Amino acid sequence: MISLQRVTKTYKNGVTALTDVDVEVEKGEFVFIVGQSGSGKSTMIRLLIREEDVTKGSIYVGGKNLAKMSSWDIPKLRRNVGTVFQDFRLLQDKTVFENVAFGLEVIGKPKHVIGQRVPEILEYVGLGDKLSNYPDELSGGEQQRVSIARACVNRPLVLLADEPTGNLDPNTSVDIMRLLDKVNRIGTTVVMATHDQAIVDAMRKRVIELDEGHVIRDQSRGVYS
Amino acid sequence: MRLEYYLRETAAGLRRNGIVAFAAMSTAFIALFLFGLALLIARQFNLVIEAWTGNVQVAVYLSDPARPQTVTRIQTNLEQLPAVSSIEYWDKAETCAQFDQLFEGQDVFQEGVDCERAIPTSLRINLADPSQFDQITAALGCEADGATQEIQCTEPGVRDVSDYRDLLDRLTAITRVLSIGVLSIAVIMLASAIALVANTLRMGMFARRKEIGIMRLVGATNWRIRVPFLIEGLVESLIGAAAALAALFVIKVFFIDQLRGELQFFPLIRNSDVLAVAPWILIAAVAVAVIAGTIGMRRFLDV
Repeated sequence: MISLQRVTKTYKNGVTALTDVDVEVEKGEFVFIVGQSGSGKSTMIRLLIREEDVTKGSIYVGGKNLAKMSSWDIPKLRRNVGTVFQDFRLLQDKTVFENVAFGLEVIGKPKHVIGQRVPEILEYVGLGDKLSNYPDELSGGEQQRVSIARACVNRPLVLLADEPTGNLDPNTSVDIMRLLDKVNRIGTTVVMATHDQAIVDAMRKRVIELDEGHVIRDQSRGVYS
Repeated sequence: MRLEYYLRETAAGLRRNGIVAFAAMSTAFIALFLFGLALLIARQFNLVIEAWTGNVQVAVYLSDPARPQTVTRIQTNLEQLPAVSSIEYWDKAETCAQFDQLFEGQDVFQEGVDCERAIPTSLRINLADPSQFDQITAALGCEADGATQEIQCTEPGVRDVSDYRDLLDRLTAITRVLSIGVLSIAVIMLASAIALVANTLRMGMFARRKEIGIMRLVGATNWRIRVPFLIEGLVESLIGAAAALAALFVIKVFFIDQLRGELQFFPLIRNSDVLAVAPWILIAAVAVAVIAGTIGMRRFLDV
């Protein structure tokens, strides 16, 4: 599903974030990317949705070579790859329903599809009773659920999560991990960058550890360190 | 659904940008008004040139009645002169139709005056070399009376020769200076209009950077993101264009129409002239929106 081949990324300011990274992720896998701040986790996420271009090497997502993708095809890639971030990225002036609907509306889905899928996915993430609440009326965990609902409402093949529990307390984090696991069980490939040791150790999933841009460990059913 | 989405986004953008959008619209209005004014000035002077000189350098007026063989003879003679580039014969019907059209609505020929009797037929000549005017007068045996400067010709059938070289040159020069002058102010104003419209778009995009970021993340196409802003710019410049057209009509009604009837043998622009510049104003307005869109969204929206 995802394949990084000898990927090197050097930013314009000369900083090399990733060096010669080789990673293969199969369809339906759940993978943690761990490492300290600045180890290249976020860069990897950004490369996978082509927010950044690789400097050397190649990346395939769903069989498509990202480097050879025209800018017209980038939106298609992003429709197949959901993204979740530490800061939720919700629109404060829209309700929970509208926030999730926005994700479908702007890719041109018809109203009846939106009317059907949005309540469905919100029910799925456990917010079936909060459709008309605004983000500031929700807890952090609930806001992250809305964000996960938005990422999943278009039924992506891959879900990328960049520190999704970074702003949450441990108990709420566990709830979010249960949800991500649930999303993974219906066949979605999940790649999650984190430095939350407790969570990684509890989940016992595949762990890829980065250090200064190098893969120093790739272990199935691994722990944080 | 899609149309509704674009309209809603555009309306929201205009509301949010209130004052800046107003500045953009009023600048677009002034720019397009001056642009239209320059075009109207050119049309007005072209009418005057047409009426006063027939847009030719030399006119040979023939005595009534002009017999066909006389016309042919004089025309053939003149065509042989190296200074002559083209000759056209205007008979009574043609000349009167032209005058009727130029002075439509103005009572130039008062009741009882017959155009066919008042206006002579003429040969209208453009010179290949305007400095060789003398060749014409020489060929027709004309001589200027020393005291009155009136031209007397010996060639039978020729009533008068009018030298419009000076008048035509001057009128053309005035037209050029006035319309180019106004046009260059218009161009400067159009540039400011472009800058201001681009600025409203940029402010709009800045205010909505979070939404735009999310749109890109979930895979909205570039056009889906840009079109509401493009429409916003287009609406601003089209409102400016509508106001400019209205202002030009106001000028025509309250200024030009007041002169009509007071000026004799001075043709004036009509509503149809204002209508004729409308497409150009609209094209300029669309150009303002497109250029502003290109400038305003460059960099900001690269994927």
